[in-house]
Amino acid sequence: MPSLKDIRRRIDSVHKTQQITRAMRMVAAAKLRRAQDAILSARPYAERMRATLGEVAASQLEAGHELLEEREQVRARELVVIASDRGLCGGFNHNLVKRAEVEIAKCEADGIGFGLTLVGRKAVEHLRRRHPEQVTHTLTGISQVAYGHAVQLADHVAGRFVAGEVDEVLVIFSEFVSALTQTPRVERLLPARPAGREEAGEKPPYEIEPSPEKLLEILVPKAVQVELLRALLESQAGEQAARMTAMESATRNTEELIDRLTLQYNRARQAAITKELVEIVSGAEAL
Amino acid sequence: MSLELVIVTPEREAFRGPVKRVVLPGSEGEFGVLEGHERFLCPLRIGEVEIDGEGEPRFAALSDGFADVGESSVVVMVDTCELAEEIDVARAERARARAEEALARLHEGTPESDSNFRHAQAALQRALVRLQVAARRAR
Repeated sequence: MPSLKDIRRRIDSVHKTQQITRAMRMVAAAKLRRAQDAILSARPYAERMRATLGEVAASQLEAGHELLEEREQVRARELVVIASDRGLCGGFNHNLVKRAEVEIAKCEADGIGFGLTLVGRKAVEHLRRRHPEQVTHTLTGISQVAYGHAVQLADHVAGRFVAGEVDEVLVIFSEFVSALTQTPRVERLLPARPAGREEAGEKPPYEIEPSPEKLLEILVPKAVQVELLRALLESQAGEQAARMTAMESATRNTEELIDRLTLQYNRARQAAITKELVEIVSGAEAL
Repeated sequence: MSLELVIVTPEREAFRGPVKRVVLPGSEGEFGVLEGHERFLCPLRIGEVEIDGEGEPRFAALSDGFADVGESSVVVMVDTCELAEEIDVARAERARARAEEALARLHEGTPESDSNFRHAQAALQRALVRLQVAARRAR
């Protein structure tokens, strides 16, 4: 039976933990809002970009680009794994790394070589230990996702793709479905597939200067960067959402624990008083 | 004034509004767009854009991207865009100094195709354009 003092101390310590989890929840909520805003403000550019690229690719069939070319045989794949730098966000990173391992297992089963581009300290910690040879690039310490990060990653993977070191690039990231759900998702980044040609018929074709090839040369790498930026932003929002949920349930748990401990404390206190009374009464009787 | 100008960057929408005329830094030279222009797609280089709307013309510094011109709209998609009043002059000055230093270090026999050389040169150009645009704001 713990003494009164022990229980008191325990309650205090749980209470302090609760203050921390509650503060973290609030910080995560504020960051989530900012991350969601970032997703929204990135959307117009991404949508315009997709529409323009789709239209150009549809109307200029003869003009190709090396990043659009499908390869007949995939001998090596680059996996871009986007996790977070920090923990304490529930199963967020675990789920993602597990998904990445599934893709890795697929490559191994098919006898395909693979390279890993890791984003976020948690991805590096887990995957570098298991596949040290395959890591080609790491990016950690992002406090706020910026376009520059996407450019850096895009340069790296596009470089490997163009050099023929890999024939396909997949991105594995957490899709921000809602504040409560984030699901790991795998998307093919390269070779890029320009979306939709549905609008192409309605509008008169573009006058393109100086040439369609020149334009695609600028457009396609940017489209790849934009896709990566979206994955990074979604993952950033997902991380904060996951942390918010995790910290909320942690706070709830501390509340329960405090209730239980308080009950125990009061019982112990009651028992101590009763014991004292008994002692006094029996002492008086003995006289 | 039914020409709508939209300038978007990957991170935000930098400008949206009706204009009379816009002058853009095309890769093959500057060009102006008025309402009723034919559909036209063109890469842009690092430079300044002039926005003629109501009142005084406004200026902004663009880094590279491209413009999608339609009959009643111009959509400019660029990596970065800063309106004259948003530019941090001290930061641009520092960027210029950094880029000049990097170029000076590289200069000895570096081929123009070297990626470091090109990066430094682009950085210098961006800084110069920013300073140039920022100077417009004083007027």
